[in-house]
Amino acid sequence: MFRMDKNDHAAIQATLAGDKEAYGALVKRHSQSLFRVAFRITGNEADAEDVVQEALLAGYRKLESFESRASFGTWIYRITVRCALDRIGGRRVDENHRVAEESDTEQDEVQVADVAAGPDRMLLSGEIGAMLQEAMSGLTATERTAFVLRHMEDCGTEEIGAALGIQPNAAKQAVFRAVHKLRFRLASLRVRI
Amino acid sequence: MKHLKEEELIEHYYGKGRSDAAEQHLQSCAECAEAYAALKSDLEEMEFAEAPMRDAAYGERVWQSIAPLLPAYETRKRSWLRSGMGRGLSYAAACALLVVCAFVAGRLWEHKQTPMAAKNPAAQAQPTQQSAAPVRERVVVVVLGDHLDRSERLLVELKHADAGSEEMVGPMRDEARSLLAANRICRQRAARADDPALSATLDRLDHLLAEVASEPGGLNAATLTRLQNEMNADGLLFEVRVLRSRIPEQQTYQSARQNGGTI
Repeated sequence: MFRMDKNDHAAIQATLAGDKEAYGALVKRHSQSLFRVAFRITGNEADAEDVVQEALLAGYRKLESFESRASFGTWIYRITVRCALDRIGGRRVDENHRVAEESDTEQDEVQVADVAAGPDRMLLSGEIGAMLQEAMSGLTATERTAFVLRHMEDCGTEEIGAALGIQPNAAKQAVFRAVHKLRFRLASLRVRI
Repeated sequence: MKHLKEEELIEHYYGKGRSDAAEQHLQSCAECAEAYAALKSDLEEMEFAEAPMRDAAYGERVWQSIAPLLPAYETRKRSWLRSGMGRGLSYAAACALLVVCAFVAGRLWEHKQTPMAAKNPAAQAQPTQQSAAPVRERVVVVVLGDHLDRSERLLVELKHADAGSEEMVGPMRDEARSLLAANRICRQRAARADDPALSATLDRLDHLLAEVASEPGGLNAATLTRLQNEMNADGLLFEVRVLRSRIPEQQTYQSARQNGGTI
């Protein structure tokens, strides 16, 4: 996804050597792409901007642990995904979802009916957009993030797993669950319309 | 025909799991092909709006907003400890320290042992005498537990022996001879350990082993009957079993050696 840029490497070395401004070059270089993924996950410009800042701050603090063999772009991308996941309430939603997962398909319908306008509002447009918005809101934060990374960012399951801090197989399952739920909800919404 | 699961169809759609097998199956199975077409249609329908573009100054703005929050890293002296050479030297120093510690510990232990030896000259002299003893002297290490096990087996065989069978009697005689030597060492040890029960049993065992081992004409019916009667009268087999049960299973050759080499 990202190649290790020599300029990135030099900027990191300079930053760690005490040149704070060198980190500014990294920030300017990567902010756009980080905003894109943050927006796709949070579905909200303001949240996405906050996530970008939060991720870059976290990246600066952890910079000493960054291994120079890796790509800074990939590294900071993963941090951004984690920040976005936290932003949309990943842990809380996941815990609720674990209970909900035990239920049958009727539970899914209940969740759809309970959905209020979520952070995906800005993502979607038109009739199908409205249905997608509603369907996306029924996903857990992990499922939504996994789906966004797979469907929109074209990440592989290993990359998704690394970004979410879970095993690749768990990432794959999250994508499956997300697709399954989205299809089910879209089908039921179509029936209602 | 085994149909493809939804998960497999999803994996196939996203391409990472695209396999010839799945592709072939889809071509040959109308049901799966239909399911895949529906999935594909659904997923292609899920088109999301592009993320709004940020202007060229966005990165600069982000930097300006976070820069005041970032403390500068202290100028790092290029620590040689962080370099590969530093790590190597660290390992070498650790190894050297370990060797020195082992040496000092050894010396201390040696010093500690010397006064103990001085206090007990007899103990010190014994090994010396032993070491000066002729090489021909065999050091026999016998584990009491093993000895009692073997004795018990022999007594059981003796109890049920048929005097007319040379096949049985011959090996018993050889075993008795072997046990006799070990039994004498055990008796000495028991005497030193002041264990009257063990000594008494080993004495009776010695008597019986001697008879089995040295019966000139072999074990005839009369001798065998007499020995069996004596054995029963003395309850020798029972006593051996009782003594064996007193010895933990763990008392092995190793522990016997730790106790001075012989029992």
